[in-house]
Amino acid sequence: MKPTDQNGSPDAGIAGHGSFFQETNLSREEAVRATDWVRKHVDRRTVDLGERMDDVREHMYELEKEGEIIIHRITDGHEPMTVKTLFGWEKKIPTKQLWHHKSCGQCGNIPGYPTSLLWFMNEFGFVPGKDYLDETDQTSCTAWNYHGSGIGNVESLSAVFLRNFHQAYVSGKQHGHELGHFFPLVHCGTSFGNYKEVRKYLIESAALREKVTKILGKLGRLVDGKLVIPEEIIHYSEWVHVMRNRIASELQKIDVSNIRATAHVACHYYKMVHEDAVYDPEVLGGNRTAIITSVAQALGAQVIDYSTWYDCCGFGFRHIISEREFTRSFTMDRKIRVAREEANADVMLANDTGCVTTMDKNQWIGKAHDQDFSIPIVADVQFAALACGADPFKIVQLQWHASPCEDLVEKMGISWSEAKKNFQEYLKEVEKGNIEYLYNPELAYGGQA
Amino acid sequence: MQQIYDDIRGDFRYDNELNGCLNCGICTATCPAAHFYDYSPREIVQLLWTENVEQIYDAMQEKIWACAQCMTCAARCPFKNSPGGLVAIMREVAIKHEMQSAKDVLRPFGRVMLKLITTGNQLSPDMIQPDHFPDWGPNIQKVEGDLSVLRKAIPVKTLQTVETAWEVSLKTSVEMYTIWEMTGVLKSLELMDENLFDVIEDFIDEKREEYDEWLEEQEDDD
Ligand code: SF4
Ligand code: SF4
Repeated sequence: MKPTDQNGSPDAGIAGHGSFFQETNLSREEAVRATDWVRKHVDRRTVDLGERMDDVREHMYELEKEGEIIIHRITDGHEPMTVKTLFGWEKKIPTKQLWHHKSCGQCGNIPGYPTSLLWFMNEFGFVPGKDYLDETDQTSCTAWNYHGSGIGNVESLSAVFLRNFHQAYVSGKQHGHELGHFFPLVHCGTSFGNYKEVRKYLIESAALREKVTKILGKLGRLVDGKLVIPEEIIHYSEWVHVMRNRIASELQKIDVSNIRATAHVACHYYKMVHEDAVYDPEVLGGNRTAIITSVAQALGAQVIDYSTWYDCCGFGFRHIISEREFTRSFTMDRKIRVAREEANADVMLANDTGCVTTMDKNQWIGKAHDQDFSIPIVADVQFAALACGADPFKIVQLQWHASPCEDLVEKMGISWSEAKKNFQEYLKEVEKGNIEYLYNPELAYGGQA
Repeated sequence: MQQIYDDIRGDFRYDNELNGCLNCGICTATCPAAHFYDYSPREIVQLLWTENVEQIYDAMQEKIWACAQCMTCAARCPFKNSPGGLVAIMREVAIKHEMQSAKDVLRPFGRVMLKLITTGNQLSPDMIQPDHFPDWGPNIQKVEGDLSVLRKAIPVKTLQTVETAWEVSLKTSVEMYTIWEMTGVLKSLELMDENLFDVIEDFIDEKREEYDEWLEEQEDDD
């Protein structure tokens, strides 16, 4: 049967946009009222699913009551701030007493983001060994290998998670603090997603808990015979998010209002266990996860949206190593070109090691494929550090990036050539063994600050 | 073949990842791998859901390796399926059954696996060099100079290494080897690539000896 409009005219379109279409002529107030519900429930993405979906933390508290696990809690000492997640749930973000869980992709490749993070902690007057700790007693989450190859399994990932976070729980003892003093701050998007996923499996599956308890027991990493699980899994960009106003008001030195910034948020930050990702109605209307954008906004940069915001960077875990045509094509076609053409961006800000690497390193070969687009790629915390006057080489470590960071730095009013000259002088000092540290290096090995 | 399907379905995550399918295609529309390969997450879901054992087997011969594990599909699916999560299970099962596709696809990834399984770190500074990645261009660092000096110029002690992303203590590495052993990770590796497994086993033995010696020294000191 052919569709018709209410007058029986046969030109009606299926979607109701035929010639019969009539204006409703609602007043502005009426229109707002009519769309209010949609705005509240759909646009904000605080969908009602929140009530229908289990909050894993509730189950953790029950398990703790039953004496099965110990929860590594966020206490007043961690000076937490509360934010809202996608489902409108509350999440506590500790701001102090943090155990830096590094990223195996980032540290080899974009060391400027852990250094910028530690630099910020020092700038806020945090005391290493008391307010934060970076040590050698940690492995990566090993999920890169798992996602890339399938070698690994839920048990191994869970055991690695529990081992590393047990170490975070007990790490304060050596420095004269109580158990649980340092709370883990996860640098990597994949570790963040993976740890939340395995935490959920551990809470849901008694069989899995039994298996890994044996392993953790063998490693001597149980407390009172129990597994230690952190109350929240925290990503470093969440720390930057809650500290953004302090960063802007107390530390910012450079006006960045002439900088056009686009954001790329790591898939494993907000698509894996997405109910836990941080959203804020003040940031892009709550239609996007708040992190990265919120910091750029707080610093006063122009945040420009683009149509492929939601797309992944093309990293692919295995692909960046052994199928780089895919990685390169995806990142150039779907991210770099779009950010360049649609947003005319001065910089793409990201919050994960894999994304920064993928988008940073694949621009050069793009030229050979008539994709001559380029854009500097840095992490949110590196951009913030630059805006707060950190040295582009010594602290922000931009020398490891392949993308054109020079243009960004110059546009911010910092002289690249002068900074480079100073750094080259500093390298001569390094060769002589005169190395500058953000904190006493002994701390990394359990020594005192 | 049936066993392969049963192993997939028997994974405790399976029911969590697959609830049915509306056939809406949202997963495929947002999937990066679907842009470039003959691959569709919707197809994976429907194959598993409709229990077409032969076609599932065929998909495991190649297609599942196209997935980039970004989990965009999982965040988008209105039915709360996770095609990417299903692919992860299928890859594990492909390895367990020593499927040729897994062996072929993973061979070029071996160097990274070697690094990860022996050091607990993945991409290290000595790998991110023009001779390893010529397509990343001649200037993947903006300052000329010796790699170890450049790393020493990072003001964080744990990052001043060249062969790992950060320095991992010996005790930590040895604990990780125990996890690999007890969870069957080394076994999977042996099935996939025996040569690589041998190299890794030697390395692990050496590190363990080193650790035992260190422990003895500590005792002697007491
Ligand atoms: S996880 Fe795999 S199937 Fe899902 S969207 Fe990403 S690439 Fe596609
Ligand atoms: S998004 Fe979900 S429901 Fe829609 S086709 Fe994909 S798996 Fe099926």
